[in-house]
Amino acid sequence: METDRPGSGREEKEEAGTPSTPAVTEGVKTAASEAAPDESAPPERESAPPGPAPAAAAAASESAPPRLTLRERLREPEESPIDVPLRKLRARTRRDFLLFSAGALGAAAGFWWLLPDRARREHLTPALRDWLDSWEARVGATRERREKFLNHSLTFDDDVAEALYSPTRSVRTYSRSQVTPLRNNYNGVIPKPDYIPSWSLTVSGLASGRSERLTIADLLSEFSRHDQVTRLCCVEGWSAVAWWGGLRFSDLLSAYPPAAGARWAKLESAVGLDAGGNPDPYYVSIDLPTARHPQTLLATHLSGRPLTVAHGAPLRLLAPMKLGLKNIKAITSIVYSTEEPADYWNERGYSKYDGL
Amino acid sequence: MSAETAVAATRGIEVRRVVRKHHALVRLSHWLNVPLLFGLIVSGLSIYWASPVFEHAPDAATGSSDYLADIGIWAVRHIPGLAGPKTNPSTWIYDRFGLGAFQLALALRLHWLFAYLFMANGALYLLGLLLGGGYKALLPRASDPADAFSMARYYAGVVPAKLLRRSWPHPSFRSKYNALQRAAYFSMPVLGALAVASGWAMHKPVQFHWLERLFINYNGARVVHFGVMIVLALFVIPHVILVAADGWDTFRSMVTGWSLRTGESVDGD
Repeated sequence: METDRPGSGREEKEEAGTPSTPAVTEGVKTAASEAAPDESAPPERESAPPGPAPAAAAAASESAPPRLTLRERLREPEESPIDVPLRKLRARTRRDFLLFSAGALGAAAGFWWLLPDRARREHLTPALRDWLDSWEARVGATRERREKFLNHSLTFDDDVAEALYSPTRSVRTYSRSQVTPLRNNYNGVIPKPDYIPSWSLTVSGLASGRSERLTIADLLSEFSRHDQVTRLCCVEGWSAVAWWGGLRFSDLLSAYPPAAGARWAKLESAVGLDAGGNPDPYYVSIDLPTARHPQTLLATHLSGRPLTVAHGAPLRLLAPMKLGLKNIKAITSIVYSTEEPADYWNERGYSKYDGL
Repeated sequence: MSAETAVAATRGIEVRRVVRKHHALVRLSHWLNVPLLFGLIVSGLSIYWASPVFEHAPDAATGSSDYLADIGIWAVRHIPGLAGPKTNPSTWIYDRFGLGAFQLALALRLHWLFAYLFMANGALYLLGLLLGGGYKALLPRASDPADAFSMARYYAGVVPAKLLRRSWPHPSFRSKYNALQRAAYFSMPVLGALAVASGWAMHKPVQFHWLERLFINYNGARVVHFGVMIVLALFVIPHVILVAADGWDTFRSMVTGWSLRTGESVDGD
């Protein structure tokens, strides 16, 4: 429709340009030919009878479609009214409003299903909540199904993250002057430093079939130290730029290669305590491509000084391409495996991939 | 269409003259935005609770260091009827407008769910705009600043004029939307894209490092993401008020696609 309009507009102009009465045509013709003898087109059109002139112009515009500028192409078309039989219009409207209502009801029911129990208690009356709960039970919208459904969205996001991951992409680095205060998010309470004198790292799942016990002195003497200033991002939303030093995880992997077929590492800290101060081991799963990344450190230093207990003395993981919760503190054991190992926060409803 | 009308006319069937307003995909994605944005905001607030980006030194009286929580503390203290026996003022805003405090794991999963659906819905909306040519009505034009001024003048004076029983004619435009509507409806997909971009910048700051840089740094993306949420939420208020003021036909046209306002009798809106 809108492509016709500029053409028809031009047509109107041309029509206006042509003399309205045949009587004066002759006089105008001579005046025009005197003024501009080169112009051949206007006399041709004038020679045609006034009746079919617009038709000829329309034919001309059809044979050579009008070139539209971008501006004309993007021009909002005039709204063109249409006549619709009333019965048809009513039927369609009824259908659309029924679909709309069904959608609104479905959305409301879906929301109630997804709402955590704590939030449910905040809304509606107890009687209404009971009524909705009984309906949920009847249609089988159980809490277990909800968890399963939500875990699908989590694994979908993990798959996207894994697809996006590139081992050659490096984490943005900062200068030491850009360092910001680093929070300590020890889950529970900070362990007592008693564990440090007897601390050692056990590495197993190795190609040699043995398991290695390494002290911090072994690690510091055997491997070269690398320093980097990177951002640590927490799942909670805060982040901090910190200057880390330590050995590369990839160097440990080369010195003590994992068994053939190993794809995962389980890093565990036996020194973790829960909020009550009772033993609460912490463990994370790390995929080996992440462990091999040159910016993945087994950190021994923060801001140039040996790690404090609050930040995971004497050895912690620093994988800045993963969320902070994967950056396990005070590692006591590394186990390589072919199967994906358990992950502390994944068991508590978080992602198991956590790639940034 | 004209053939159909002719047949209808000869058979004496009653017809209605209507005008097509919105493509089916545009209508679908418009309404899907309601639950999706609601879900994103509700879960997003519970994520925000875990570590607010707008913080101050802890308040000695309330123990709060979060500006957003302060709004809830103020509301519970000053608005009668809000304080119940189980009300926790420092989490009131998150309990009332979000999924509540201590819901980070669930809120994150819900946020990813709604975020992916929101992106898919955005694609649906753009497709509908392209297929129906509706984008042409949204593109900014040179006359917009002047027209926006006359519309703003109209809105500012419409209530006083009603009270004084003086005539206050609606500025007349030949386009589908007036300049203020166009600015608002054009900025919505832009804001949606900004929400998605800042979201990805936070979610994958390493793989999308260029996106993180676009927002200067990680916290820059958080601030933009939060700001976009506020603007989108605030947009709803005038949007709903104006549609209600404009009448049933406007609402119906977003459900059914057609409107009785054929431009022959009605000005502007």
